[in-house]
Amino acid sequence: MYAAKRVTYAKKLLSTVGIDPARLEMYNLSAAMGPKWAEICTEFTERIRKLGPSPIWLAICRQSGMKRSEE
Amino acid sequence: MIVGKQKPFEEIWDMIKNFKKVLVFGCNTCVAICHAGGGKEAEILASMLRIKASQEGLEMEIKQAAIERHCEPEFFEPVMDDVRTSDVVLSLACGVGVNFLSERIGSIPVYPGINTEFYGAVPKAGIFTELCAGCGNCILHVTGGICPIARCAKSLMNGPCGGTNNGKCEISQDVDCAWYLILERMKKLGTLEKLSEIKPPRDWSTGMYGGPRRIVLEHIADSEAQAEKKDS
Amino acid sequence: MKGGSNLEKVLEGGYFAVTAEVGPPKGTSTSVIQKKGDLLKSYCDAMNVTDNQTAIVRMSSLSGCVILKEMGIDPVMQMVVRDRNRIAIQSDILGAVALGIRNILCLSGDHHKFGNHPTAKCVYDIDSIQFVQALKTMRDEKKFLCGEDISGEVPLFIGAVENPFADPFEYRVTRLAKKVRAGADFIQTQAVYDVNKFARWMEMLRDQGLDKQVHILAGVIPIKSVGMARYMRDNVSGVSVPNEIVTRLEDAKNVREEGVKITLEIIEQLKEIDGIHGIHIMAVAWEDIVPNIVERASLLPRPIL
Repeated sequence: MYAAKRVTYAKKLLSTVGIDPARLEMYNLSAAMGPKWAEICTEFTERIRKLGPSPIWLAICRQSGMKRSEE
Repeated sequence: MIVGKQKPFEEIWDMIKNFKKVLVFGCNTCVAICHAGGGKEAEILASMLRIKASQEGLEMEIKQAAIERHCEPEFFEPVMDDVRTSDVVLSLACGVGVNFLSERIGSIPVYPGINTEFYGAVPKAGIFTELCAGCGNCILHVTGGICPIARCAKSLMNGPCGGTNNGKCEISQDVDCAWYLILERMKKLGTLEKLSEIKPPRDWSTGMYGGPRRIVLEHIADSEAQAEKKDS
Repeated sequence: MKGGSNLEKVLEGGYFAVTAEVGPPKGTSTSVIQKKGDLLKSYCDAMNVTDNQTAIVRMSSLSGCVILKEMGIDPVMQMVVRDRNRIAIQSDILGAVALGIRNILCLSGDHHKFGNHPTAKCVYDIDSIQFVQALKTMRDEKKFLCGEDISGEVPLFIGAVENPFADPFEYRVTRLAKKVRAGADFIQTQAVYDVNKFARWMEMLRDQGLDKQVHILAGVIPIKSVGMARYMRDNVSGVSVPNEIVTRLEDAKNVREEGVKITLEIIEQLKEIDGIHGIHIMAVAWEDIVPNIVERASLLPRPIL
């Protein structure tokens, strides 16, 4: 499937720049699968929480922190 | 078309990491078709570079832009301001584009973000094959439309050599023997007898071996020069 | 000793070296080379055998060197990267060493466009600086370019060329420094006519201490005729022949004698330049003038080492 291949490719790009590819996931769902959707959301939120804050966000904090101390 | 392939990210990063203002500059013709250096690839690469820069704690301004073609002057105008205010241009155009742009803006470095590979076609989406060598002296009419210069690993003129193996080249089982293909094609065309002639040594001077090439169409070059004179 | 050749001994012994040039024939005759060898034998320390000079096919430099070697002459094998890839180059070097050749001069080679096979494919797989570096690695580390081991010794005295008169002038010293860093033991330069410019180049070279790291042999081409002088001034890229030389020849009653006089004056001036360790006489198609020049330049007898 085209979309799945693209997601695999994007995961590779993310790991190249130091982002854990587990932060990106694709699930196959139909509009009628509400409970499954909720389950996936909970599960994925839990995964992201375990992975901790995004390294990009941390990097931005570090940078703006540095700026503040310089000022 | 010209087929290119993006350079490894680490190599690109090493080229540009010491600059403050970077312009990732795509070309929307050949290299966009092979997903190496079009506007879309420029955007993706710029994002990756921004993420990388933030991870490394570097303050960099990374912009992206793309134009239709990097090999003709008239397409550049809308982006020249962005180009001129950059510290470095990471060009995703083919080597022609990199040369051409750096000639225009001598004082700003223009670095290549892709490797320019070959003249090729797209037999299937995502697959690119080399079919022409740009040798300046086409002989496809006597080789059944299959180029032995580009597609035979030894560029033989009187092939196939002894390394042909079930229609494959001795260098790899993934490479077709061009001369095997030529024979099969000529059989179908009913022109096999043409291959019994000994082809003499080639004139390689029409290709890169004769030095850099230049073509001048006087009926066009002259009239453009005259038009310029009139304008001024 | 790096190669143990006579040329190396002469230069390392601090003598002012003289080398001459022998062009092989457009044919198979050994006697052409033997005659030139006999003629020049007592007047120089080593003889360069050119490698398909100006891209005109001639007998191989290797064969010419072997013929000279058999006559007890120290040959300098010229080798261009125009016609050979790295496989052929390294193979020919092994063969040359096996046959007793110790001096190799590494060159790019004139583009074949001006030779007698202008439709040929040129090679230029590696360039002359990479070639020098490859020879140094072969000799000092006994390794091929690919890193694999060579069996046996590879004694070589490695030469390179430089043209102090080509553009851009400022970069010529940098490029020579690169050749020295790559491993050149001696340098033979393009023909010198503009001694002042050459002296400026040598000064820049001494500023970098390069004269202490490499033996510089200044190139000299005696001019035989007015036509030749004009041709070299106007058509040979990278050679600078001052107008006064052309005028002197035009006004001369005996052009050849005037040509020799000019050459002798140039040699006298070259001897005075600090860091010049010898001269390389390229008497193209005028080999028989070399004894005359060497004798009148007081460069005889040649040292026997």
